[in-house]
Amino acid sequence: MNMRPFHFGVSMLVVSAFFAAKSPAWSAAASPQVEFNRDIRPLFAKHCTACHGGVKTAGKISFLYRDKALAEGKSGERAIVPGDEAKSEVMRRVLSKDPDDVMPKPDHGPRLTDKEIATLQQWIKEGAKWSEHWSFVPPEEPEKPKLKGKSWATTSADHFILSRLEAEGLKPSPEATPAEWLRRVSLDLTGLLPTREEYELFVKDRRKNAAAAKAHVVDRLLASPQFGERWASMWLDLARYSDTFGYEKDPHRDIWPWRDWVIRALNADVPFDQFTIKQLAGDLLPNPTADDLLATAFHRNTQNNTEGGTDDEEYRTVAVLDRVSTTWTAWNATTFGCVQCHSHPYDPFPHRDYYRFAAFFNNTEDCDQNDDYPRYTFADDPAKRDESARLQRESRRLREQLNADAQALSAKVTDWKPLVPTEAKASGGNLTIASDGRINASGTLPISVKYTLTIPVVAGMTAIKIDIFPESDNPKNAPERGQIFSKLTAALVVPGASNQPVKLKEVIADYLAGPRDPRKVIEGEGGFGSYPVMSGPRWGIVVLDEPLMAPERATVELVIEHGVASNSGVQGCPLKHFAVSATKDTRLTDFVSSTARAEAWNNWRTVNFSLKKIPGTSVPVMIERSRPSARETRVFIRGNRLTRDEVVLPGLPDVVQPPKKDGPLDRLDMARWLVGNQNPLAARVLANRLWAEMFGHGIVETLEDFGTSGAKPTHPELLDHLALRLRGELKWSVKKFLREIALSATYAQSSRTTPKLLEKDAANHLYAHGPRSRLTAEMVRDQALTVSGLLSTKQFGPPVFPPQPDGVWSTVYSGEKWNTSTNENRFRRSVYTYSRRTAGYPLFLTFDAPMRDFCTARRLPSNTPLQSLAVLNDPAFMEMAQALSNRMERDGGSPRQKIERGCRLLTLGEPPRAMVNSLAKLYDGALADYRADEDAAAKLGATPEQAALVLVANTLLNLDSFLTR
Amino acid sequence: MNLFQQLEYDSLLHRTRRHFLRDCTTGIGALWLASMTGRAWGAEGVLKRDPAHPLLPSAPQLPGKAKRVIYLHMAGSPSQLELFDHKPELAKMDGKDCPDSFLKGKQFAFIQGVPKMLGSQYPFKQHGKSGQWVSDRMPQFATVADDVCFIKSMYTDQFNHGPAQLLMHTGTQNPGWASTGAWATYGLGSENQNLPGFIVLTSGGKNPDAGKSVWGSGFLPSVYQGVQCRSQGDPVLFLSNPPGITRGLRRRTLDAIGEINSKSAKESGDPETLTRIAQYELAFRMQVDASDAFDIKQEPAGIHALYGTQPGKESFANNCLLARRLAERGVRYIQLFDWGWDSHGAGENEALSHGFKDKCQSVDRPLMALITDLKQRGLFEDTLIVWSGEFGRTPMRENRNGVEMKFVGRDHNPGAFTLWMAGGGVKGGFSYGETDDFGYQSVIDKVSVHDFHATLLQLLGFNHMKFTYPVSGVNMRLTNVTKPGSEVVKAVLA
Repeated sequence: MNMRPFHFGVSMLVVSAFFAAKSPAWSAAASPQVEFNRDIRPLFAKHCTACHGGVKTAGKISFLYRDKALAEGKSGERAIVPGDEAKSEVMRRVLSKDPDDVMPKPDHGPRLTDKEIATLQQWIKEGAKWSEHWSFVPPEEPEKPKLKGKSWATTSADHFILSRLEAEGLKPSPEATPAEWLRRVSLDLTGLLPTREEYELFVKDRRKNAAAAKAHVVDRLLASPQFGERWASMWLDLARYSDTFGYEKDPHRDIWPWRDWVIRALNADVPFDQFTIKQLAGDLLPNPTADDLLATAFHRNTQNNTEGGTDDEEYRTVAVLDRVSTTWTAWNATTFGCVQCHSHPYDPFPHRDYYRFAAFFNNTEDCDQNDDYPRYTFADDPAKRDESARLQRESRRLREQLNADAQALSAKVTDWKPLVPTEAKASGGNLTIASDGRINASGTLPISVKYTLTIPVVAGMTAIKIDIFPESDNPKNAPERGQIFSKLTAALVVPGASNQPVKLKEVIADYLAGPRDPRKVIEGEGGFGSYPVMSGPRWGIVVLDEPLMAPERATVELVIEHGVASNSGVQGCPLKHFAVSATKDTRLTDFVSSTARAEAWNNWRTVNFSLKKIPGTSVPVMIERSRPSARETRVFIRGNRLTRDEVVLPGLPDVVQPPKKDGPLDRLDMARWLVGNQNPLAARVLANRLWAEMFGHGIVETLEDFGTSGAKPTHPELLDHLALRLRGELKWSVKKFLREIALSATYAQSSRTTPKLLEKDAANHLYAHGPRSRLTAEMVRDQALTVSGLLSTKQFGPPVFPPQPDGVWSTVYSGEKWNTSTNENRFRRSVYTYSRRTAGYPLFLTFDAPMRDFCTARRLPSNTPLQSLAVLNDPAFMEMAQALSNRMERDGGSPRQKIERGCRLLTLGEPPRAMVNSLAKLYDGALADYRADEDAAAKLGATPEQAALVLVANTLLNLDSFLTR
Repeated sequence: MNLFQQLEYDSLLHRTRRHFLRDCTTGIGALWLASMTGRAWGAEGVLKRDPAHPLLPSAPQLPGKAKRVIYLHMAGSPSQLELFDHKPELAKMDGKDCPDSFLKGKQFAFIQGVPKMLGSQYPFKQHGKSGQWVSDRMPQFATVADDVCFIKSMYTDQFNHGPAQLLMHTGTQNPGWASTGAWATYGLGSENQNLPGFIVLTSGGKNPDAGKSVWGSGFLPSVYQGVQCRSQGDPVLFLSNPPGITRGLRRRTLDAIGEINSKSAKESGDPETLTRIAQYELAFRMQVDASDAFDIKQEPAGIHALYGTQPGKESFANNCLLARRLAERGVRYIQLFDWGWDSHGAGENEALSHGFKDKCQSVDRPLMALITDLKQRGLFEDTLIVWSGEFGRTPMRENRNGVEMKFVGRDHNPGAFTLWMAGGGVKGGFSYGETDDFGYQSVIDKVSVHDFHATLLQLLGFNHMKFTYPVSGVNMRLTNVTKPGSEVVKAVLA
């Protein structure tokens, strides 16, 4: 057993009694002893932790953390003295009759019941043993349950299910018919219906060897290219994938190559640990491949606010914090978002831990830019992708090296002399010159304001240094808008002669960061400075072509031009506080003019040139800022980014056993920890999620919350077994894991339920019958495409535009149009449908698909009249009904035969006679109507017979047996 | 501590509809009775709702004077200084440099450096017995000023449209929370099961800046999200039968669906299938009732003259008339968005002298008509009308890019804006709160967006602190759990 000593404020005498007993609640079932998780934690949560918890720790007591519950409170008394209820202040307070003394305070809540008091007393008497909440305790392999009925179970999971059914006095349901099972497993694994031929083959194979026939089907489905398309939807919900930025204008974003990567990775069964590491930190892997870099777009699915005047730093921060919440929800099913504002109310996460975790994400280059910077070009030609990725990294490396070499030399320069301008003019606003030469700008500074500085000539000057200062020296202050200039020119002014331009050769920066290259300030429109917010003082050195030769009476005119704006291009970022100095050190001019230097620049240009020749799609990705430009992360007091507290380094909460490392952890360490053996959560969370996709609900129903406020596992031993199996023997293989579920006896049961079962277990948490749930939004459409024969199985590529009603896209300040696809793109699988955050595809939203604004771990299926209207009347569905009726018509025969043919597409096996009868009755009635009303008939078909068949097809698509799996 | 009792012992949060059916074997009638007698309210204000009948009417916690809401959102935010907040002192400052004290520590969307002050562009007069100040841009509306309750001291903390609209409608600036309409529909259900309980109508040619999230259900079940109805084509998406399918044929289809589904329900034993049958029947009724509700051609000429409506057009006037028709039919929450009030002055259509003037003209008569019409039908007393933008506008003239612009306009101002209410439970001819002499900041009886939400819920019969929904362990409420201290503005209650 994994034990951790607890070590604050308790004398050594009692320490032995307080080893954290890390057994979760359920493994100590039926013990006469008080069990902390079962009996005491809920009691604390109910009566105490609102005031003595994570948000408030009144009297310095918290019942969330062992150390704080056992330590001395503010009063000097100890709330809990293990083994001694008489000395435990908590007992005195809950028993007190004095309204000023009793706990909970009368206006906060009712007294504890006698039973609760007795339980608390017994617990303290028994030594006040503490245990962590079940999900924070590492999973342990449970014993295989002993069964009465041995023949039913086929997989290890079945043993746990059957053992529970036996304990509840229930029996499993009979096996599903071949048609039911095949329909279920095909929809679950590929999201598509099987064909008639696949069904017939399965029925034939089954006669020879049922188990082998099923295994053959499952293997075929897992190997199908359609597998990844179905399972991607699950991951895209968690990743909040969308083809647009979100927020007001909600413009287009090219991030579909990442969606394709997810599909490819699922199809290739990339083990989930690799799948995780690539997405969270692929950029930090040694020699990352094109796919590794592309995978990091996972966390660039955050929204980007391009509304005019929105603060880029504010929405950059929103994106960073969204990455924190998403990571914890998707991998750990933990409501970590709570900790943004205060310590977690009832899970053991201190406030500070949120920001330590945020620090993992706070140092990427993205900063809410309208062009989604930074982006990476994913080559169109698969053969050139890795080469392109290598060149992109090489270009970045060479550019860093160019700057670093020059910087190393500039560090040796010691003779910097401040240049106090004799005159400073601005084309807007005002410039003032302080006695130390510092220049301050004020007033209304237009975005493109131009400063003209007259400085005394320094004969032999080789370089000009520009220092940029923040307004405030206190780094705790709210971030202030950046200062950046786009162009610098210099000219020699000799009285009586025309100005002579001074040739500028190179710009050396203190560091390279952000969307603009400093060299551009002399090459053309570019930018040097801090953007979009100040990150402390900055400096840059502009080196001249050659030492300045000038007559004594001459002056130098420096022209600083601006033009860079932040906050979606409306707030100017001109220099506000800056100073200029000069050096005469010729090493700088010699260096920048050397042939070696020219060659180094050429190497870099050659790489860029090669890159340009490889066409591709430019995708937003994660790129880490270099060390000198690293952002500091501060705790936000009450979650408000403008009230900033202490600096924190990246780190993980104690309760999840962080890895040990010299120096701070980075994003890669974090990703590896997530899927490592130390993390008690991720394997359980994934096993539960995959289980839920197959059975309609999880072993833990709250897929999004494994914490104290979430549901408890219905089969805790099974969950641990599955988690350990997935992470251990199956080496995180999603396909192997799903294969076991698909071939289990539990999954093979008929979904039929009975009133008796409904009464005992309506939600089927005991799995006494097979799963039955409504199709997902994507499946509703994909299935209709399948039975109508219209489905295109073309894979990958930019999102497509199947028919949707006019006027759904009418987003403000956006000229983007829904141009309905006319070729096979009209009938592609739903995963490829354009996903716009502010105006989702109506059919999908009606069928409970999320808007993808944020991470969604679970869709809650609804059942509404708007769904009925959509499938009945949506012109897209009518198009499919038309096609379906053509299929029914194709081989001729009697109307009844045609109807049977249609039914068989849905039911696979022989359709129930009653179904055919009802539809035949509908057909006859409709035919009579259409014969009487030929105008109406003509709108659906060439003859009244055809029209009546279209109506039947339309009806088929609305049947319950069609809409469920 | 009942919150945690709730979480620990009542898994309502995680309850799927199947759970519910298990627990409610006594049937829907009993449940409905429970709703109507208030017994549906669990500890800490968590409402027990039957997911199979999510829109059944349910009694609120307290007797509420407003039974339904018509919320008129002027998207883009109209200038309070040109409509209702009369500031003679500001006129004296017109054209002068903005004082430093107005700029220090302030962030603007577009204003740069030191802008010029800008007096009101239109004259004001007092109206009615109560002497409400209204500018000459709203002559028709001014005639019903005695029915209106102004709050002139509204403020927000968001100065961009998207986030500010989200805050105004969901209690937070980020997407993902439940909208006021979703809360109201969740809490009260709807009195007409054949229409959506929460209907959204837009005019001005665009959806609101924050997209559909402003009428989303957020963390509430998705059935409570607003249903956007359209002025062209089907009012509700996919409402009409496809060409070639008559109502009679649709009836035949539904009979077949009902027959076959009943059979599957019997075979599978799945109660969800029974619900599906009911939903198809509901859809069939909705086809008639919704088409009827949206057919304003049925209105007499006098009503069209009153509102200034033209059937078939997308207009604010048409939407006001539709709002009345929907209110009459028992729709709980009717949300109008009218786009085009963002009067920066960056172009003619958003200049105070042009675009703004046209916008005023397009809403003036319909606003008067809506109040008048509700009154003459006896609906005014229990229908709450709210009119507002998402923030106010600056008393400074906008100087985008740091230069004087060709047209006159104002930038976004979170510090002060005017909201008015009328009808169900609020005082008429009343004005609450004041801004400073320049209409820049609310200073007397300030009302936050959360205070307004608390008041709105109070009017509907809810204690905002006790009307909650548990999400991941937190009892969420419209007045934003992370922003404590919101208060009902008692002074405006009738």
